[in-house]
Amino acid sequence: MYRKKKTNNKKNRQSNFAKLSIFQPNKYKFKKSCPLSLNGAPVIDYKNIKLLKKYISDNGKILPSRITSICQKKQRELSISIKRARNLALI
Amino acid sequence: MNLYEHTIVARQDATTSQIKQLTEKYSKIIEEFDGSIIQTQNWGLLNLSYIIKKNKKGNYIHFKIKGTGKIIKELEQNEIIDKNLLRYMSVKVKKFDLETNYFSNSETTKRESDKKSNV
Repeated sequence: MYRKKKTNNKKNRQSNFAKLSIFQPNKYKFKKSCPLSLNGAPVIDYKNIKLLKKYISDNGKILPSRITSICQKKQRELSISIKRARNLALI
Repeated sequence: MNLYEHTIVARQDATTSQIKQLTEKYSKIIEEFDGSIIQTQNWGLLNLSYIIKKNKKGNYIHFKIKGTGKIIKELEQNEIIDKNLLRYMSVKVKKFDLETNYFSNSETTKRESDKKSNV
């Protein structure tokens, strides 16, 4: 009984878990909600460099949402605004 | 009528009078094509993150325009030829955010912190 319950929960929650690497076993996933879709979250904009710099690596690459746990919709907006800022040489 | 954000990057050795001329030149074009400028922001001299045409810094000018797509076409045609400019970009937006200015704020806070450190 106990085992069955556990597996069901895992299946349902899977989308909310974040992984640090692809090779990380499923046991060690941890839950995080999207930091940009909370109430009062900052607006994603190509002029807001402080915000954008949080989501790029040291080499200037866009971090995957797997690591930052940003939802798909916001990740799309982010990648567009990061590319705009790159074009203006702001990042 | 659409809302556009238009940004220009001018060369680092452009003087203040030259920058004024540029803003006047492009605001005239906007007015010719029945557009209206809702706001202009001068972000000042900012460090470029990579070198463009041997420039390490650039003067940023930002327009918020209300008008038709003809204006953008005309502006960009003029800006391709302009030798004082490094980059230009126009973005169509649904709403203007007129209150926040991401670049002037950081400068003023920096100056204030500098003053405090000097005292």
